[in-house]
Amino acid sequence: MKTKVPGVDALGKDLRHLLGSGKVKTEPEDLLAYSSDATRYYAQGKPEAVVLAESVDDICKLLKYANQHEVPVTPRGAGSGLSGGSTPIKGGIVLDMKRMNRILEISKGNMTARAESGVVLANFHRAVEKEKLFYPPDPQSMDVCTLGGNVACRAGGPRGVKYGTTPNYVLGLEAVLPDGSVINTGGISVKQANGYNITQILTGSEGTLAVITKVNLRLLTLPPERKTAVIVCDSPQIAAEMVSRIIYEGAVPAVLEYLSVGAIWLMNSYSPIPVAMDGQAYLLLELDGSPALIQEDMEKIKNISSLMKAREVKVIADEKQAAGIWKARKNLSPLILRIYQKSISEDVTVPRDKIPEMVKAVSEIGASLGVPTGMSGHAGDGNIHPGVQLMEITPEMEKKAEEAIRLIMEKGIELGGTISGEHGIGLHKSAYLEKELGKDQIELMKRIKYAFDPKGIMNPGKIWTEVQA
Amino acid sequence: MIGDLDYYKGLVVKCSHCALCEAVCPVYLEDMLETHVARARVDIIDQTLYKKSMPVTPRVREIINRCLVCTSCTQSCGAAVPVHEIIITARAALYDSQRHNLLHSYFTRAMMEQRGIKGLPALMLAAAQKLHIAPEGFPKVSLRTFDSLHHGSYLPEGKKRVKVAYFTGCATNTMDVETGVSVMKVLAHNGIEVVIPDKLMCCGIPALGEGDIKTAHRMVRNNIAVLSELDVDAIVTDCTSCGMMLRSESAKLLPADDPLLAKAVALSAKVFEVTDYLNTIGLAVEPGPLEESFTYHVPCHRGWTPTLSDAPLQLLAKIPGLKYRAMEEPEKCCGAGGAFFMEYSDLSRGIRKRKLDDITGTGAGMVISQCPGCRSYLSAGLGKGRKSVHPITLLRQAYGL
Repeated sequence: MKTKVPGVDALGKDLRHLLGSGKVKTEPEDLLAYSSDATRYYAQGKPEAVVLAESVDDICKLLKYANQHEVPVTPRGAGSGLSGGSTPIKGGIVLDMKRMNRILEISKGNMTARAESGVVLANFHRAVEKEKLFYPPDPQSMDVCTLGGNVACRAGGPRGVKYGTTPNYVLGLEAVLPDGSVINTGGISVKQANGYNITQILTGSEGTLAVITKVNLRLLTLPPERKTAVIVCDSPQIAAEMVSRIIYEGAVPAVLEYLSVGAIWLMNSYSPIPVAMDGQAYLLLELDGSPALIQEDMEKIKNISSLMKAREVKVIADEKQAAGIWKARKNLSPLILRIYQKSISEDVTVPRDKIPEMVKAVSEIGASLGVPTGMSGHAGDGNIHPGVQLMEITPEMEKKAEEAIRLIMEKGIELGGTISGEHGIGLHKSAYLEKELGKDQIELMKRIKYAFDPKGIMNPGKIWTEVQA
Repeated sequence: MIGDLDYYKGLVVKCSHCALCEAVCPVYLEDMLETHVARARVDIIDQTLYKKSMPVTPRVREIINRCLVCTSCTQSCGAAVPVHEIIITARAALYDSQRHNLLHSYFTRAMMEQRGIKGLPALMLAAAQKLHIAPEGFPKVSLRTFDSLHHGSYLPEGKKRVKVAYFTGCATNTMDVETGVSVMKVLAHNGIEVVIPDKLMCCGIPALGEGDIKTAHRMVRNNIAVLSELDVDAIVTDCTSCGMMLRSESAKLLPADDPLLAKAVALSAKVFEVTDYLNTIGLAVEPGPLEESFTYHVPCHRGWTPTLSDAPLQLLAKIPGLKYRAMEEPEKCCGAGGAFFMEYSDLSRGIRKRKLDDITGTGAGMVISQCPGCRSYLSAGLGKGRKSVHPITLLRQAYGL
């Protein structure tokens, strides 16, 4: 498509010569496998080659080549993203980072870790937890998504309410610039005041500036205990209002999820949840810390619940049952497809005190357009994950869904929120970004992009609608 | 219906592309190439066999063949895409019962009809194993088969509590006869009358994996007819793959208007893996102590009943002194996959390597598993000094039988 100099066959041949044949795939079946992320319904691109990098050296060689020949490069972790960010819409090379999956160091003394960017998050969790350390970010794709992908997209997750999201833990990065040079940003010190914060510019850059190859992450002490509870509410408003009250009263759960009726039913079908199924909205929460703290916080939550007339607070004592519920929560996105033909999950995030208004607006938007909408998300940090579901896929329904998404985005911005709390902008939300940030800021971003990537080879076509280098 | 391409048309497009199957696919985790994970396999089947926008190339066949049919992706799929059924159906469509050469098909069918490797093939295999030219990890064939030792009805010791039929799979019948004997003894010791029905054939799973639907049909029809004639409280099996076939897959092979379907469904409710069954009815006799330690490899074909995965642990917890040492990721595949390890030996050895590390990491003296394929493939990898046994073997020891 866009490859100016080498043709498709020449590109494969060049890359094999450069990197070795085991690391380069050009057969149509392999290209299909790398043509989109978890939002295949939205867009697909067709790469001309897939490169499975095994070392920083591979990436230096590859980028030097791609830059010289102006071939687009789309870095990719698990391909589990929800923004279309790793979809190679301009063709070129997909750079699969998952073979670079070594954890290089876990330092108990410094409470930091250094790892290659292809490490799967759940494996990283297991490794640090063995040392009684804790890395909180927990996007629901944690069993497959990679640290590099998390950093590139500023991934969050349910624990964001208490612990923040990925950017709060990134201390430094190793990255390869499009010209093939390697930079080490930040460091492993918890305090840094060393010039422009390039670490945080690359964090959230969605593969448009450089290829992140190593990450330095800050760790916490592993909380000794965890406890899960489910709160049954008789109206969505009660549940929504309880969220900010619980946090304001100082009982900050590690996780505080708002679940619609549909969501709890689906989760219950996957793993039994021992609460009444005729509530109108639910809160699912996890408290962590010392047993005494957990008990104290649970008492606070029970008091708030009775004060605000929630129906029941059910503490899940059986650990296996609790694990089942969280597994069902992880699978909520695909579970929706057991009923609907298509599901679009957004991550508009609003200030916490605006959650009740947002909940109301989303259901009104759905009702006025005649499309089912739902909300199930990390309400504790205002990230309520409004979604639009389609029972059948027709051009008319697609149009309505698109309209609903637009109205939801606009409402989020109007309430002082953001169009993306943790998925990133990628392809889907690029049309709305200017509305949130303004023209001048987009122009500034483009100038930063140009400084890193003057030829525009890095993940072109993302974040804003057209790259004007 | 498995094998019917039209039936799966609507299910293929149910994939949400969430990529969570990357966490569980043993082939993907070894190859580290997304083309070899369920999400891509299903897309490629959709493009080649349904939408026909791509031709069926050798690469397509490789992608469809390079799957263990372990069912891990099916079990974990939130969108409930029956990936392994789609793979089998694709194999059926691509190969029409001839995925391998005629000799391979002949031996597979002969083995299935007589439930195991007997006669000339058994002698040939024994000779090959003596000469070290047989595939590594292939179990030793017993020249004294289980069905030559046992058939008919066996009364229990003491008061009779229930009556069950014991479905002996091909592996137990001709390669791991001692496990069969252990099952008989333990059931009898617990007041259970055991019927060993005549005329049974293989459960059909080797044919199913091949996409050889015709042969699988033949086995299933035969077995349903034989088993539904019996007046028993339950049908137990020591093998999780036979159990899966009888419990969940047989009915999926029959068309909706087939008179046997009702019988298959009725039978499926009676099918139990033997440790799961003993937990359900409880032990009649307390086992004695065993001063040993074990770890547990959960077979891949565990999804057909929710209590199966934990059943051996629950049962063996009743043996005083016996220590369980959990391995990392006990549900991770061992790489055997029926006959898969012979065709893709490098890939399988790579998958097994991770498992062996996890097993030896526990320091346990032995590994238990209810799948004969896993046991023999793991044994070959573990070498001398560490054995892999069926959980029922330990119970037999604890009873001193």
